[in-house]
Amino acid sequence: MADLSDIRSETQDAPNTPDAQAPAPAPGMVVVWRAIFVGILLLFVVLLAWRLWDTNRSEHRASGMAPPFTFTTFEGETISLDDLQGQGVVVNFWASWCDPCRDEAALLEQAWRREKDNGIVFIGLDYLDQEPAAKAYLAEFGITYPNGPDLRSEAARRYGIKGVPETFFINSAGEIAQTVIGPIVNEAQMESYLAEIRP
Amino acid sequence: MIFHIGYLILVTATVLAAFGMIAGFVGGRQRNVKLTLSSYHAVYAMAGLVALAAAILWYALLTDRFEVAYVWNHSERALPVFYKFSALWGGQAGSLLFWLLILSGFSVAAAFFNRRRHWAIMPYVNAVMLGTSLFFAVLLVFAANPFELASFVPQDGMGLNPLLQNYWMVLHPVMLYIGYVGLAVPFAFAVGALLSKRLDNQWVRTVRRWTLIPWMFLSAGILMGSQWAYMELGWGGYWAWDPVENASFLPWLTATAFLHSIVVQEQRGILKVWNAALIWMTYFLVILGTFTTRSGVLESVHSFARSDVGPFFLVFMVIILFGFLWLLFKRLPLLRDEQAIESYTSREAAFMANNWLFAGIAFATLWGTFFPMFSEILTGDRISVAAPFFNKVNGPLFLLLILLMGAAPLLGWRRTSRQAFRKQFTWPLLVGAVTGVAIWLLYDAGYPAIGLAACAFAAATIVQEYVRGVQARRITSGESVPAAMGNLWRRNGRRYGGYLVHLGIVLIAAAVIGNEFFQQNTNVTLANGESVTLGRYEIAYTGLEPNRKVNHVEYGARLMIFDQESGKTLGSILPRRNIYDKTPEQPTSEVGLRMTLIEDTYVVLNGWETGGSTATFTMYINPLTAWMWIGGLVLVLGTLIASWPHPGRRRSEAADSVAYAVGSAGD
Repeated sequence: MADLSDIRSETQDAPNTPDAQAPAPAPGMVVVWRAIFVGILLLFVVLLAWRLWDTNRSEHRASGMAPPFTFTTFEGETISLDDLQGQGVVVNFWASWCDPCRDEAALLEQAWRREKDNGIVFIGLDYLDQEPAAKAYLAEFGITYPNGPDLRSEAARRYGIKGVPETFFINSAGEIAQTVIGPIVNEAQMESYLAEIRP
Repeated sequence: MIFHIGYLILVTATVLAAFGMIAGFVGGRQRNVKLTLSSYHAVYAMAGLVALAAAILWYALLTDRFEVAYVWNHSERALPVFYKFSALWGGQAGSLLFWLLILSGFSVAAAFFNRRRHWAIMPYVNAVMLGTSLFFAVLLVFAANPFELASFVPQDGMGLNPLLQNYWMVLHPVMLYIGYVGLAVPFAFAVGALLSKRLDNQWVRTVRRWTLIPWMFLSAGILMGSQWAYMELGWGGYWAWDPVENASFLPWLTATAFLHSIVVQEQRGILKVWNAALIWMTYFLVILGTFTTRSGVLESVHSFARSDVGPFFLVFMVIILFGFLWLLFKRLPLLRDEQAIESYTSREAAFMANNWLFAGIAFATLWGTFFPMFSEILTGDRISVAAPFFNKVNGPLFLLLILLMGAAPLLGWRRTSRQAFRKQFTWPLLVGAVTGVAIWLLYDAGYPAIGLAACAFAAATIVQEYVRGVQARRITSGESVPAAMGNLWRRNGRRYGGYLVHLGIVLIAAAVIGNEFFQQNTNVTLANGESVTLGRYEIAYTGLEPNRKVNHVEYGARLMIFDQESGKTLGSILPRRNIYDKTPEQPTSEVGLRMTLIEDTYVVLNGWETGGSTATFTMYINPLTAWMWIGGLVLVLGTLIASWPHPGRRRSEAADSVAYAVGSAGD
């Protein structure tokens, strides 16, 4: 506390000399710097606008060409949709907390065991879940096809899912041939969709 | 009928805000007393209209008027009254109305407390506040009408999102909103000062408390949000660098920098442009944060359902960004620094470093938050930067910040003499070093040793300052220790309250370090009666207890905790899972928690089989977490002391001017 008075007098004594030690930079440079600064801000806003437009456009559930995605399975294997070109792909969004998902879990696994040698790949993407619970779910139904968490819901957003389960049937050309909202109810329904994507 | 009136009120409010805004700008420019008074009246009337609209929506929520789409979507008959009340800010349209309500409150406060001061600035302040209100009113009228009616009268509502049915979740958005919205006031003052060319220290002095109070709410809101994530989301952590968390953290960073750098302007007449730019960035980040959470441009667990508000926000952001920048460029010649920084060992140099660090953290966080968006646009691939990026970049910056926080109060203005160095730094450095070595020897861990050493150093400087302050008072006036402490706070709240805020931050930092480096966890499935060992504990599962509540069933798994060495019973915990009637596919987990000052035992119930004969748990030991919440309380207390007005203020104007801490000498 002893130094209070010193500081006060210092502040008062300090000469009030505007820009004594800060020479103004050349006017040309100032304009350039301002332009750069404004340009960066402008770019940011434009990117935001672009992104907003893009988001609103992708509001709807994916159709046509299947949006690409890459994920890492619970076993640590990385799988990319691009690598599966030429095969039929069934992408199933599920979660351990989702009761309707349980209705189709066994059916999916059976279909996979039957079809894996016919050029059809099943992929399970775990939507908004906790890993232990998800693993318990997979173990409960003895699911063996590649499954992994949909981190940050990236694939879910791209496919525009509205809930789980949703299943996308993608043909060997990479087009979405069928979309199923809610669980797949029976063998016949599954078979009719698989027929569309069998290469 | 009444809901049509509600909508009409919003339309009226929009027109009124537009009128008031113009009255303020023109009145300020032409120094027209009538128009200036009009802008005041518009602020008051606006608040009345908005309050009325909010009251109508509350009435609809509390009386279950499901013909209103908002009520139908965000409430239900069985919802407890408290949550019906809080459903006002549970959804998009309602929360925008709530924003506007708080904004009106702040506008009234700013107008009322300054009705006889700052005559040149105030019309512009009113205009900027009303301009912001106008924006939100336009949103409500054109893009998100809370009074929109459903085409039929539904029998019951769809229910509030279960994740939101939690006290913390109800409170933390309120805190955040108050903090967020309140930061419009200092921005309005900055615009007012620039427009009126009253660029001396006056606006800076006034604005300090108007920044400090929202800052306190923002801090509390962020911490309560962490607490909610910790208690409710059940992943053992409190902060995930999620875009929405970052959205609240970004303005906090720039506002904190602003609170510090205005002290330098007040003392030394420098950093004027920087201060104006900082409050502008803060306000922009507030609007940007509100935009990102509501437009779906960033992916987050927090996002509101999408609606049409995005383009409106974009336009508003463009106005804020370029309007202010244009004004700032125009006024640059009036904002020359009065002096230069003389020495690196001066307090103003330390403040500068503090500002650079805050700006660096803010930039890194902004970059990380928006990087996925940029990468997707540029490369087509969405590359997310996860927590490790933020931790790696921001961790060291925060470490430097804590060191600086310890050192800065010990430095003098302009320069620090060698003698002063020795006198000030010996003890704190010693305490820091001893702590660091002790932790290094005990746990053989380098990073936490450095981090906790920095925390100990910063804490020691604060203690040293308090001890010296109390001693000085005891010598001069012979007071007892508590009385001396009280007088320090009362007479120099800015300084000593500020130290308390710093202490709060140190405690929070210690908790973060403890969690980051010493957390232990395990996943187990336990049969009834079985137990598991984790850390110093043995934890046994003793059965599942279902419990019927109003709108959900609560399943609790009873666990007993024993001390592993002595076998003594330490207590029991009850992690729960709530299955809601309306949304059974979205259960919420209620963490089982045993909190001690040393560490938390934190258990999540993941699932169970056959009525609870076995259950699966994730268990964590989280060291020092309790200090995060204690630190939060200390921080709030410190801010209150630092901003408390006291009658002796005018007399101690001189003492104020040397006070280190950030408080207000506004009146």
